[in-house]
Amino acid sequence: MLRINAAFGRLKLTSPAERLIHLTFATIFALCFLLGCETANYAPSITQQMAVASSRKQDVDVVKLEHGRNLFVHRCIECHTLPAIWHYTPKDWTEVVDSMAHRASLKPAERDAVIAYILTVRKRM
Amino acid sequence: MCAFAGVRHFTFLYEAPTSPPGSVELENTITWAHRANWNDVFIREELEIGVTDRFQLGIYPLDWTHHSEGGLQYNGGALELIYNLSNPVVDPVGISLYEEISVARQHFESESKLIAQKNFGRWILDYNTTLEAEWESKGLEEQSGELQQALGASYEISPRLSVGLEFLHELVFPDWRDEEKIRNVFVGPNVSYRRQSWFVTVTALAQATDTTDEPDFQLRTVFGIGF
Repeated sequence: MLRINAAFGRLKLTSPAERLIHLTFATIFALCFLLGCETANYAPSITQQMAVASSRKQDVDVVKLEHGRNLFVHRCIECHTLPAIWHYTPKDWTEVVDSMAHRASLKPAERDAVIAYILTVRKRM
Repeated sequence: MCAFAGVRHFTFLYEAPTSPPGSVELENTITWAHRANWNDVFIREELEIGVTDRFQLGIYPLDWTHHSEGGLQYNGGALELIYNLSNPVVDPVGISLYEEISVARQHFESESKLIAQKNFGRWILDYNTTLEAEWESKGLEEQSGELQQALGASYEISPRLSVGLEFLHELVFPDWRDEEKIRNVFVGPNVSYRRQSWFVTVTALAQATDTTDEPDFQLRTVFGIGF
């Protein structure tokens, strides 16, 4: 069996090695923290303007859209990463959310809120 | 209403998101640990229940070990609680707190974790730091501790398939002393596949240190099915 020990050259965790491992973990953790804001694009925040514009065609308000966003970022990532909202057409999004509503424990009103949020954001892209 | 609780992208690490409220899932974990002159198999059954949007409960009614020398052994039951504090997508870091209590005859164990996760598009970066405290033997007189750090990265090739890497770093303290300087490092790849109501995740880890009491190779499979 290929022993990974060979590649690591009998890694012995003396103090400098341990410090290096801890530094690696700390760096990755800090990078996650610093880059965190970038990924907010996968679930943009709702503004009053977006809600007003969307309410002309859908029965929505800021509260419902915020609730939809909250469910979107909590329930969907339990199984997979969030796809970019522009990745699917509005019609596809409705079908995707419908097909996954049961496994995400979404009640009908929650499913509607998620769809309303996605369609509102999708419209501005 | 019952549904699927959630997919594991890693098998040696826990992830920050908790199960949706009302979801119930059965998770089976089988670990094969191998060294030149011995093989052990660990089997755990977990019933995972989503209580609220942030709180998850796990019950382990069955926990078995098969030692190549000592045969089959029942390890008792355990209770696991996970509370989510922040989200790995919209917050800078997704954080969850984890506590597991295991009880058996002449054995008591507490496992506390801080889980940190960040999602970057199709990437999931996950970090766990764990403190294990164990009491065993008659009168629970024998004590030991372990501090573990674990790091994992997973890339989602498609919504059904992910591949990644897991890395473990353990510091073991027999009798809560560090005289023996026991340090273990394990590293290896993983793959996760999911369908409508089930998932399977497999990790193969090799030991990068040379600790004789620890396995050279470990293969862990987690199979989950939702009701």
